[in-house]
Amino acid sequence: MHGKLVDMVLTNSIDRRALADLLFQLADDELCIGHRDSEWLGLAPDIEEDVAFSSIAQDEVGHATFYYELLAELSDCSADALAFARPANERRNALLTERENGDWAHTIVRHFFYDTFDALRLEALADSEYRPLSEGVAKIRREERYHLLHLHLWFVRLGGAGGEARKRMEFAIDQLWSDVGGLFSWGAWEEELLTKKIIPVSSFELQHRWQERVRPVFAEAGIPWIEDLQQPEKDGRVGEHSPEMDRLLLDLSSVYNLDPAAQW
Amino acid sequence: MKEHDVPEEYEVFEVFVQKTQADFHTHVGSIVAPSPDVALMNARENFLRRESGVNLWVVPRQCVTATPYDTDVDWFAREMDRKYREAGGYPENGRLWKMYKERVLHLDEIVEDLHGEKDKRKNESASS
Amino acid sequence: MSIADKEIRFMERIKAGYKIEATDWMPDEYRKLLLKLIHMHGISEIMGALPEKEWVPKAPTLKRKLAIMAKVQDEMGHGQLLLRVAEDLAAPFGRTREDLVTDVIHGRVKFHNVFHMEAPTWADAGIIGWLVDGAAIINQAALLHTSYGPYARVLKRICAEESFHMQHGESIILTLAGGTDDQRQMLQDALNRWWESLLFFFGPVEVTASAQRMIDYGIRTKTNEELRQQFFTKYVPRIRSLGLEVPDPKLSYDEEAKRWIWTEPDWEKFGRVVKENQGPKSQQRVDLRRFAHEEQQWVREAMLRSRKKTVSMIV
Repeated sequence: MHGKLVDMVLTNSIDRRALADLLFQLADDELCIGHRDSEWLGLAPDIEEDVAFSSIAQDEVGHATFYYELLAELSDCSADALAFARPANERRNALLTERENGDWAHTIVRHFFYDTFDALRLEALADSEYRPLSEGVAKIRREERYHLLHLHLWFVRLGGAGGEARKRMEFAIDQLWSDVGGLFSWGAWEEELLTKKIIPVSSFELQHRWQERVRPVFAEAGIPWIEDLQQPEKDGRVGEHSPEMDRLLLDLSSVYNLDPAAQW
Repeated sequence: MKEHDVPEEYEVFEVFVQKTQADFHTHVGSIVAPSPDVALMNARENFLRRESGVNLWVVPRQCVTATPYDTDVDWFAREMDRKYREAGGYPENGRLWKMYKERVLHLDEIVEDLHGEKDKRKNESASS
Repeated sequence: MSIADKEIRFMERIKAGYKIEATDWMPDEYRKLLLKLIHMHGISEIMGALPEKEWVPKAPTLKRKLAIMAKVQDEMGHGQLLLRVAEDLAAPFGRTREDLVTDVIHGRVKFHNVFHMEAPTWADAGIIGWLVDGAAIINQAALLHTSYGPYARVLKRICAEESFHMQHGESIILTLAGGTDDQRQMLQDALNRWWESLLFFFGPVEVTASAQRMIDYGIRTKTNEELRQQFFTKYVPRIRSLGLEVPDPKLSYDEEAKRWIWTEPDWEKFGRVVKENQGPKSQQRVDLRRFAHEEQQWVREAMLRSRKKTVSMIV
């Protein structure tokens, strides 16, 4: 039902694994960042923002659900089992998305970095030859528009405010910068994914585009640009994670794990 | 901006939602925000989490000039017969047309002929 | 017009069924009673987000995670709507959002007893969604005909959203009730934990002086006990139909008197919970709110400093 490519993908175990790996990157990224966002519930800087930011958190978890459902079609597992039962070393999210929340500046910086990356990734995947993905991505991109506007506004305002806000923004950028490089990796199967045109651009190109897009926003916020992006010490895309991820999973799955076979 | 020019607190903005382009903007409530653009950004989720809309206005509350409720209750007084300005104010037309073997023409029929049944209903709800 | 004349006219308007508006003249007593009620209502919504938000990171399926996020978000949204109403009432006293929000940190406004309690299991999230919300819905629906226009308008919207909350809560408990023995036990334990709190939630049986004044002013139209009886009628048969046991051996319906007989909770204990923040989770939750507000003063200040007067096209 998904056209020729899927049939081909499903009959070739290497391609099938490559595709699943990509979908896990998307699903795990969105679940982790949505989970972290949702921890702000009831605690945002003002009530109105609390409500607005919660919608962003819900969108992210909603997008994760879409990807896990695609994965469920490719495997024998349910979307919930894929979201709740996989150990850290099977998770494919970038480290940036699993980091524990800091202050509001940390959240704004992280989310702005991630959303800009995600917008570029989705732009690229809109041309994917894997139709179920490119079709879903078209919808997700429309919802991400509000996130980008929201986070861009916050990033520029907090940077431009000077004083304590500016200091906190710079501190958050410092803290998160070493995780940025880890966003662009397409994981262990990049070559296969490129060859099959499941992804149309390389991680190198993605990183270049990100820098082009973020640099002017730094200027707008009056924050000096940092030239170098480092190679991350740990690559989340191949299952390497921080202890923060273990704590996230412990929380995430605590009820589910009481009885994975039960209905909840 | 110097520190002492900064207002101490968020302002109140009245929020207006336009549901579809066939509707006017409707007041739905108010929010506090540090600036109009943040007000607009947050109004979307504070008032349109479920319902859809095509346009939003936020208006600083002090820009609203309003009629009184209690101090001048006659502000909206309409006591005398004004049937002459309503379609229902001309019941004799029907009887008169009968003499000419014709009947009263209603706007609905015209709308229905031009746009079909669906539009007639829309027209009714817009004028009610 | 003298104050006495104004008061007479005010009461006439209320009796005639007119709604009172924020810009209208109103007796000080009316304003203060309303403000106390709506302030507490709004702050309770915001404090009420805290016990439930504990279960957002732990919700056991993707659908539950999304639903409980949406539900807690609605509670914050209701808090926003109610605080706006309270803020306009408080304006003549020179009090703003800042004051109304910080009052809870300094113990100057109470919040509902149910939000001082522990919610240690997923079934507690279910019982909160089903019964605590159920009780709150009865309370709020009873206020729909309040004499204060701005309150009536936000209550209409709040009640519409609560209809989703009712389904959300029922969905969780129906799943648990139809689940494993452990899940059913978890549900029964949670019910046992919450029952007394639920009874206290409606307030004392006797009509206090201020409650009577609120009824006189048309702010509220039903007594605490009328609402509690309504709660029993709606929920007790449903609780029992699930095979759960209500932890009150005395609870029964008196056919002749047409009312439920029930065991009163420890009023004094719950009184301390609400008045002195002495519930098991009171301090922790007030501290969380303090964190949310005070630790983020810098954010609000920064946003005011960098405000732009004009909205450039945000596309």
